[in-house]
Amino acid sequence: MTPEDSQMLSRVTRRREIAPGLVTLRFLNPKVAHTTVAGQFVNVLPKVGFLDPMLRRPFSVYNIDGDEAEIIIQAHGRGTNILTETREGDMLDVLGPLGNPWNTASGDFKTAVLLIGGVGVASMQLLTRTLVSSDVPVQTFYGARSKTLFALDGLTNLHLSTDDGSEGFHGSNIALLRSQLEEGSIASPKLFVCGPTGMMRAAKALAAEFKIPCELSLETEMACGIGICQGCPVVTDDETFNTTGKRFRLVCMEGPSFAAERIVI
Amino acid sequence: MSQSSKNISTVAPDLRSRIGNVEFKNPVLVASGTFGYGAEAKDYCDIEQLGGIVTKSVSWKPRVGNHPHRIVETPSGMLNSIGLANVGVHTFVKEKLPYLAKFDTKIIANIAASSMEEYRDVLELIEQNAVENLAGYEINVSCPNVKDGGLSFGTSVERTEELTALLRQSTDRLLIIKLTPNVTSVAPFAQACERAGADAISLINTVVGMAVDIYNREPRLSTVTGGVSGPAVKPIALAKVYDARKASAIPIIGIGGIITAEDAVEFLIVGSSVIQVGTANFVHPDAGVRVAKGLEEFLRAQGIAHVTELVNSLKVRAELKAAGW
Ligand SMILES: Cc1cc2nc3c(=O)[nH]c(=O)nc-3n(C[C@H](O)[C@H](O)[C@H](O)COP(=O)(O)OP(=O)(O)OC[C@H]3O[C@@H](n4cnc5c(N)ncnc54)[C@H](O)[C@@H]3O)c2cc1C
Ligand SMILES: Cc1cc2nc3c(=O)[nH]c(=O)nc-3n(C[C@H](O)[C@H](O)[C@H](O)COP(=O)(O)O)c2cc1C
Ligand code: FES
Repeated sequence: MTPEDSQMLSRVTRRREIAPGLVTLRFLNPKVAHTTVAGQFVNVLPKVGFLDPMLRRPFSVYNIDGDEAEIIIQAHGRGTNILTETREGDMLDVLGPLGNPWNTASGDFKTAVLLIGGVGVASMQLLTRTLVSSDVPVQTFYGARSKTLFALDGLTNLHLSTDDGSEGFHGSNIALLRSQLEEGSIASPKLFVCGPTGMMRAAKALAAEFKIPCELSLETEMACGIGICQGCPVVTDDETFNTTGKRFRLVCMEGPSFAAERIVI
Repeated sequence: MSQSSKNISTVAPDLRSRIGNVEFKNPVLVASGTFGYGAEAKDYCDIEQLGGIVTKSVSWKPRVGNHPHRIVETPSGMLNSIGLANVGVHTFVKEKLPYLAKFDTKIIANIAASSMEEYRDVLELIEQNAVENLAGYEINVSCPNVKDGGLSFGTSVERTEELTALLRQSTDRLLIIKLTPNVTSVAPFAQACERAGADAISLINTVVGMAVDIYNREPRLSTVTGGVSGPAVKPIALAKVYDARKASAIPIIGIGGIITAEDAVEFLIVGSSVIQVGTANFVHPDAGVRVAKGLEEFLRAQGIAHVTELVNSLKVRAELKAAGW
């Protein structure tokens, strides 16, 4: 990789609004499109040349197709509000791909259970593609606030749930998954989880209770995304590093996904 | 290109800059804590186009740093409370320094400690393991984010002078004291560093600040307050450089909110011999190279042959100077 091609101004070729404030942006970026593996992310400037907001925002790579890559953005702050207003033809400044892929080769499961909350869906389309292409059975438990907020492209074997009951199971996807785990209907599962913190915490507890492997894709505030600011750590209970029994791991360099049992969440 | 502009545009401006007996290929260095130990950014930045790299503060023992949350974006800048997370000087000399030795650029090792002895021991261990391109040391007496991180030195003129004099005995390489802006005036600190034999001072480290989550009514950083950096602090930094420049002849390394070549030029004019690019690296890991290239273009466009012509060239009317401005 040369310094030049790692930061690229990328032209937006398609903008799709799934629901108000939930937008996908497809952009021309051969490097991201050809080298991203499911679970990696890109760090995107809210607006080229702006000093305020100044920092890039991290987004999982949602899809790749030919020379194009796609991200899905939920507006909920200054940077994401600006980004969701990006128009076709505009330029995005994209740094990536960054971080590590989902660990699909851990060898400790037969069925991949994708547990998704809201925009946590972002890395799941590529993950599904990876798993299906290596003949791993996939079951997808996807929860959203309401039925208009699902982004279902490329997912498979769906079990939907909504907070308002407008689609699928009325309640949390954790409750829905729990009932299936209790029935024992999923053969040797491993959970791949991305969603709000509360859901990830519940997923970790559920995995511990049923003694199944579980990987969480974490979100922390990031400045650089490449390991130079030390701003993005997650707390682990790994005792090898310091005397308080806590150590920090950089989500951008060592994550964003981690084995759940090590993470203090 | 037209013939008439040939004279100005074909002579490459001279970017070489000096502090003491060290020559930097250009006056653009990257700031401590914003470029790791060099290796992290190498895929994104052509390191050899930088004047130099100031490495992340190292202490005697590794430090894990502060509990998250460590960063918050603020208007045209950011707040951080990293807490000097670092690998410790032993790993630094065993792994980081030999790696950096491979690059054709100057290395300045930044040191943070909580006692005189620790500063000296860290410096001496690096000195014993020095590599050819190690230009010197930047002594961080100004980290606002740890309780034992040197700020107790950096806010006392006497202790700053004592520490500088002590460290001066341990090295002939550049000894640079990195000062805090969180004092009423940096002038007596600049004078103290000069008296005690430092080769230069760096100005500024981050400005103490805070941010509040109004829904939870909690501080947004785990340490309540942190350090502000980025374009928001540039005017503060320029005033501090000016303050030090008036008070002392010691060479100054200007730092604070430099994003563009024009920002760098401001610092040079006010009296910095070289500058450092910090927070901008988080946005563009090659920010330093962008600034260096922009500086070359600026000099060319202005018909300035040597970058050193800019240094300390601020025009302040005599009557203003006489009145203390
Ligand atoms: C590896 C990774 C992948 C991500 N993938 C996606 C994705 O595919 N789609 C998507 O919509 N979002 C994703 N996010 C979250 C997204 O980066 C944040 O929503 C965004 O940075 C917020 O920026 P803002 O300016 O809108 O919010 P701000 O106005 O800066 O902040 C609004 C709120 O968002 C929180 N926040 C700020 N930065 C982050 C952050 N980096 N992560 C989490 N919360 C943050 C703040 O604490 C604050 O409460 C991802 C985050 C990470 C770390
Ligand atoms: C995340 C972060 C970490 C920093 N770590 C250090 C450090 O370890 N040692 C140090 O002397 N300065 C440190 N600094 C201060 C910078 O080197 C610099 O002095 C300051 O950020 C102002 O410059 P800027 O506005 O260009 O960033 C850090 C700054 C930031 C933003
Ligand atoms: S975001 Fe800077 S180190 Fe992870």
